[in-house]
Amino acid sequence: MSKVTLKDIRLREYTLENLGLLGRLRKDLMRTRPEVCIERARHTTRYLRDLSSDDEPMETRYAKAVAYFLSKKAPLFFDDNLLAGTTTSKPFGAPVYQELTGMTIWPELDTISTRGKNPLILSREDAEELNFEIFPYWMERNILEYTRKKHNNPGCMRLFERIVFFLASKAGTISHTVPDYRKVLAKGIEGIIEEAAAREEDVRRKGADTPDNRHSIEFYQAVQIVMKGVLEYAANLSRRAEELAAAETDPARRENLLRMSETCARVPAKPARTFREALNSLWICQVAVHAENINMAMSPGRLDQVLYDYYRRDIDSGTLTVGEAIELVGCLWLKLNDNTNLVPETSEELFGGAGTVPAVTVGGVDENGEDAVNDLTYIMLRVTELLKLRDPSVNARYHYEKNTEEYRDRVAEVIVNTKAVPAFHNDVVDIKVLENQGTSTEHARDYAVIGCVELASAGRSYDASSSIIFNLVSALELAMYNGKRPATGDEQIGPQTGDPAGFSTFEEFWEAFKTQLKWLIGEAIKLNEYFGRAHQEMLPTPLLSAFFEGPMEKGRDLIRGGALYNSSGATHIGFADTVDSLSAIEKAVFMDRKCTFAELLTALRDDFRGHEKLHAYLVYKTPKYGTDDPIAVKNSRNLIRFLYDFYQGHTNYRGGRYRPGYWTMTNHAGQGKLSGALPNGRKAHKVFASGITPASQAAGDLSACLKAVGGLDGLCIPSGEALNLKYPHVNGNGDIKTFAQAVESYFRYGGLHVQFNIMSYEELIDAKKNPEKYPELLVRVSGYSAYFKDLNEAMKDEIITRTAYDLGTGRAVPFPEEYRSMLAYE
Amino acid sequence: MLEKILNWLTLRPLRMRILRRKFLKCLESEIAEEFLEMLLRFMSLAFLLDRDFRRNIEDFNGRYLFRSRDNSITVAVVFKDNRMKVYEKNLEDTNVTVTFRNGKALMGYLLSPKPDILGSLLRQDVTFNGNLNYVYKFAYMAKRLQLMATGEI
Repeated sequence: MSKVTLKDIRLREYTLENLGLLGRLRKDLMRTRPEVCIERARHTTRYLRDLSSDDEPMETRYAKAVAYFLSKKAPLFFDDNLLAGTTTSKPFGAPVYQELTGMTIWPELDTISTRGKNPLILSREDAEELNFEIFPYWMERNILEYTRKKHNNPGCMRLFERIVFFLASKAGTISHTVPDYRKVLAKGIEGIIEEAAAREEDVRRKGADTPDNRHSIEFYQAVQIVMKGVLEYAANLSRRAEELAAAETDPARRENLLRMSETCARVPAKPARTFREALNSLWICQVAVHAENINMAMSPGRLDQVLYDYYRRDIDSGTLTVGEAIELVGCLWLKLNDNTNLVPETSEELFGGAGTVPAVTVGGVDENGEDAVNDLTYIMLRVTELLKLRDPSVNARYHYEKNTEEYRDRVAEVIVNTKAVPAFHNDVVDIKVLENQGTSTEHARDYAVIGCVELASAGRSYDASSSIIFNLVSALELAMYNGKRPATGDEQIGPQTGDPAGFSTFEEFWEAFKTQLKWLIGEAIKLNEYFGRAHQEMLPTPLLSAFFEGPMEKGRDLIRGGALYNSSGATHIGFADTVDSLSAIEKAVFMDRKCTFAELLTALRDDFRGHEKLHAYLVYKTPKYGTDDPIAVKNSRNLIRFLYDFYQGHTNYRGGRYRPGYWTMTNHAGQGKLSGALPNGRKAHKVFASGITPASQAAGDLSACLKAVGGLDGLCIPSGEALNLKYPHVNGNGDIKTFAQAVESYFRYGGLHVQFNIMSYEELIDAKKNPEKYPELLVRVSGYSAYFKDLNEAMKDEIITRTAYDLGTGRAVPFPEEYRSMLAYE
Repeated sequence: MLEKILNWLTLRPLRMRILRRKFLKCLESEIAEEFLEMLLRFMSLAFLLDRDFRRNIEDFNGRYLFRSRDNSITVAVVFKDNRMKVYEKNLEDTNVTVTFRNGKALMGYLLSPKPDILGSLLRQDVTFNGNLNYVYKFAYMAKRLQLMATGEI
């Protein structure tokens, strides 16, 4: 039976004008400049350095450090938001995770406030505290240096530090996952503490004489310790709100502060009873998770499902109106924007512009496989449509056999109205993908999106989906240059697979390429395993673990394999450029004999200068991924299959398999800038295509493009894919219908994910030239949203040059002649 | 008081002014061959003269080796006992070894307000072997020195 009771699923009567609070809060957020917040670094360092001993087991010691911070964390109320709790001590803060990558900003302490790209305000006093008090303690103790020392600066780490081969995200994160907030809403933190205490007692009765039991006892103790820290923070919020209410003269504000005080006195300690309590409980837990773990893609999950019962109960009892629910959900959306990442200027230049990407998932089917769309789904879509914010990254699941067309078309309409969000996910294939990874059908149906596009059975699966970011082009170049790369000069990096000039068939080159891939991926996996073990020793996660199914039952921290399901994700950069280059080599060198391999390499080294005829041939006459050319289809499918088989053959330190995915955030722009010319005609230092998207301007027909991408075996893409499409405009209901039907067709071909930018080449070019005219222009990058103005120049160019399709004809819109120099092959 | 007398007797303030001028000139030069030498001399003296700046090396032990790629320059810098010592020789057991293409490249890495990051990566202008946190600390001190020299702090 449908759970949709709204008369108007568009909720058109609710606007930012008549929801004054949301309008005001949004305006404040947009004009607030980000600041570095050292509160967490200060308190965790003080505890670990001055108040604890190296002899203590790390599980309880770290729990005490996080609890200490939570108890000292300032209870702040910056604005009139209806939810209490802040991620940092600043209205818009970038917390310092000094044990991860926080120390990379050390050289910039005097200049970060004034740097060119995405400056962050840092006070003189805070900079001095970081320089003199905090960073020195961590010089040998952050995850990178701990690992380096332990493994004697291994080769895989030195490869990672060259940047151009792969990135190992674990140096900077325990993140990219979906906690289970249902549990805390249902039983409260006190219930979790009681459970941990009872389980600790059980293990004690069995005896603490085995290492496993000892660890279990420490884990249960750690959960109790850290959860008490969460309770202290909530109690401090309650007290402070009461104090502020007493001094407040504005009646509405006073009322709100009193309600927050009451709410925080109740939750998250106890089970939530109302929609408002559930939202605030969830938000305080999200804040607490970031007290322990970095703010990268820590995703709240299926909020329309998690919060639905509370919503329904309040609506039915008449204690909540739809308008109030919209306001509360809007407050949560705004709260999820109260923090940003702390990254050095180099990262901003190469990869900048990302938010913290807490993904929210709506729609799809429930655990029984039935339509899960409810009133709250539409409320969340309306809030997304009204606020047009970078975060949360909203993802709409669509099951074409179970969800209604009405829902599908409404999601499409919100995309058109925001020009970018939400992203569409294919329930039919996504569920099969997870089942194929060993997830039970019920759990697979209850999947949520992590960060960009990755899939997780919410609160049951710890996937660390961004563990490896692998540059496929680097392996291709190693094969082309016999184990060397132009970007790293004459140094022998990979195995010597032979001078391809001596190869007589494409298959020989394909074998060389696979050899380089296997070697390089092997190095990336080796480093990820080192980092994973270091995390186990240094940075346990008892707080996050308590919000998962598995760790409490097993008595084992998440980072030690406590979750019900485990995996590590590896995403790939340069997929389309690699496939097109393979196809170009096959066609140009081995089939058409247009050039020898040696001649091709000479042309690449010259960046095609003096080789214009060959360049034109490579660009216009060789097979392109995203078309129905059989060579392109074969090479794309072979590569996907090979990577899947290779990764799945590796088991991680938590006992889960490695999962390949194809989403690139902004890495395809940065890595493209660091790479030489390629056989597909892409010139040196131009951006790569994003995610699993065909190279810009390579796939001229929308239908063929959707068939080609959808035709890739989704089961071989268990860590998700990002297909980026662009329409210059979608006009009226007829176009929206066509738009939504195209998505459904793509899903029926087998595609997992698609996201859109509804904007023309001209509009984007103008936004690049005149950023002041487009301060809030939201775009989809490759799995997440960003404000266009915050992106680096390369990333802006990539979004501008992405193929735009005319929805009516399905043909690519010609790129403006006067800007052709922006294209990757020009 | 004793420190002030010692500074005056050894003409440190005067030497500091001269070095500051040379350092700034070096920063503006196209080649900056002498950048590392200038930086280290200026830094050494700044630690002696400026109590606030000296706080950076209180209780700090660090062993650095700076080496040009062609091996024409090899300089060891040791921070110990609240002092900075510079040796023109190789050094074992360093916390980090910094290899640079030339003085300009090293300067660009440490000090440029608009560093050519992509170019630097592509050319492998500066590479490191060892604990990067020591590089970050040194880069912070170098940057601070530059801001002091230009009067921005």
